[in-house]
Amino acid sequence: MPEDILLDPTAETAPAIQPRLARPESIAGKTIGLFDIAKMRGDEFLDRLDELLTARGHAVKRYRKKHFTHLAPIELKQRIKSECDLVIEGLAD
Amino acid sequence: MHDIRGLEQLGIVAVGVATTEFKVAAAAQNQALGYDPAVVFVQHPIQDRSREEIRALADRAVEEILANLKT
Amino acid sequence: MLAMTQVAVPHIETSDKPAFPARTFLAIVKQDCPTCVLAIPVLRQIEQLIAPLGGTLEVYVQDDVSFAAGFSHACDDTALATSYRYQVDTVPTLIRLKEGQEDARAVGWQRAQWQAVTGISGLGENLPDYRPGCGSKTMDPRMPVRLKVKYGNTGLASCRIVVPALSDAVETCYERGWTDGLPVVPPTEERVLEVLDGTARSPSEVIGLIPPNLTPCTVEKVAINAVMAGCRPEYMPVVLTAVEAALMPAFGLHGVLATTNACTPVVMVNGPIARAIGMNAKGNVFGQGNRANAAIGRTLQLVVRNVGGGRPGEIDRSVFGTPAKYSFCFAEDEEDPRWESYAVSLGYSPNASTVTIFPGDGITQTIDHISRQPEDLCRSYAGCIRAIYHTGHVIGVQAFLAIGREHAIVFYDAGWSKARVKEELLDLLKIPVREVAPGRSGLSGLTAEEKADPNNLIPKFKNGTFNIIRAGGSAGKYSAIISSIGGRGSIEPVTKEIR
Repeated sequence: MPEDILLDPTAETAPAIQPRLARPESIAGKTIGLFDIAKMRGDEFLDRLDELLTARGHAVKRYRKKHFTHLAPIELKQRIKSECDLVIEGLAD
Repeated sequence: MHDIRGLEQLGIVAVGVATTEFKVAAAAQNQALGYDPAVVFVQHPIQDRSREEIRALADRAVEEILANLKT
Repeated sequence: MLAMTQVAVPHIETSDKPAFPARTFLAIVKQDCPTCVLAIPVLRQIEQLIAPLGGTLEVYVQDDVSFAAGFSHACDDTALATSYRYQVDTVPTLIRLKEGQEDARAVGWQRAQWQAVTGISGLGENLPDYRPGCGSKTMDPRMPVRLKVKYGNTGLASCRIVVPALSDAVETCYERGWTDGLPVVPPTEERVLEVLDGTARSPSEVIGLIPPNLTPCTVEKVAINAVMAGCRPEYMPVVLTAVEAALMPAFGLHGVLATTNACTPVVMVNGPIARAIGMNAKGNVFGQGNRANAAIGRTLQLVVRNVGGGRPGEIDRSVFGTPAKYSFCFAEDEEDPRWESYAVSLGYSPNASTVTIFPGDGITQTIDHISRQPEDLCRSYAGCIRAIYHTGHVIGVQAFLAIGREHAIVFYDAGWSKARVKEELLDLLKIPVREVAPGRSGLSGLTAEEKADPNNLIPKFKNGTFNIIRAGGSAGKYSAIISSIGGRGSIEPVTKEIR
């Protein structure tokens, strides 16, 4: 039996879109991960962000997945989660 | 978008950076995924830019990126 | 043995011939049908006669289109679109269309019928007059529902959610926040339609407003959550009654949800339906392993979560929660006639089936291996019941006591009714004012007169209900207390008959 269409079990009073994670009030002093999705030239963009964030007093950690066509492996995501407070992913073009 | 969703599902606040070319596709994927990630768009294209131009894109985008990481 | 050569020549009356250009005949067949095998040569006769007159025969094959090899219009209907459209339940079926509209059909092989439909005499003269057809593939197990979803109008109103290409249905349910932490059965339209077969109630019927958001809940929404919980169609009458009962004002469902306490709705079923759908009232009665117990209780929880919006961390502020919030549903053990069931004690007929919803936060066992006299056993119970929440807690506490079989025998042998046991316990559960807890669980709920003398006795269940039921396995000197907050006028047990 195909399972590609499901019926909504909710009251449908809320939009079908899931909200994003709640943001902190301040990011001062937080460690920021820069996650390179491995498209060409993206590292140059993230290199500059690295400089800018470091100048603002953030600790910056760098990550990169093997190939942009693949989803990031769970171990990598877990590592980012455990080592960083926030993460910026780029650069999709 | 899937990676951002996966990261937020693990509990870390995430923002993506994509070019303006990605806007329509991103909106469609959000609808399909049922998830609205924070994404900052920078001017397309990227591949043919000089190193200085790419750095300038980052300079112009950093405030908006950081704003998307906090309330 | 049938001869395949004709003994009489089929023919069309001259006066009928002008009608044929406007006629299309549809034959729906399957190779795996002996009557269809018989009918194929007849269909060839028909095609040979009508084609020169401008008539058309389309042969739709439900399994292997090569079965119709040689026909001018051999059509693959393995997807059953045409079979569904024409509501074919037997093969072979022969349909006559006039200007695109059906105006006659023959089902199975019956010479007279085929001759009437086709207007051709002398068909299949070497065949018996009649041979019944076989079941159409549209009638294969689960196929009617599948085809209704694919080609028909299911009449289901809920939003369709597409499972993304890189995900799967089980993960999608998790990602959308629809689960209680355990995987759910993905609620496809087919599964929901099948479960709705278990009730005659219309999917669009509104059951009531589910707290905390007080959103209208339809039979369809209950069915979707019932699929997710693992329900079979035959559970639906119980499930729907459970939701209705939980919405009765006396139960105070909002209060049960929006509390820091660990309580949750408990579902107890009485009457013949419990056995009919295979519920458990015996060993491990409050535990895992029985599909009906697990799925019915879980449906109520999922309806509250998904339709009502009651989720931990939001309106649900429970400090600890309880595993009972996954599902807490069982049937009362009614096998021994020496005590009447809970439903009968309320005045329901023993032949009635009912759902009782009462609040509970889990179970606490009482163990007494020694007592052989009813008074001694009651004293053991009283010590444990007294300690519910706090030995001095008398306001807003209530309980069900599930007496196990070995303990029940002590009462049966002494000739004690359930009412007698309850009377004895309530008499033992009187607490002197000096031992009543301060605050709203105790002293704040007493009158000045009651508090005046520290030796005044206050009932443990001053405003709470206390009920005795039978459940559990046959060996083991245990009984079980299901405690809860609430009481008369706030959160009370409610009972509704299943219709």
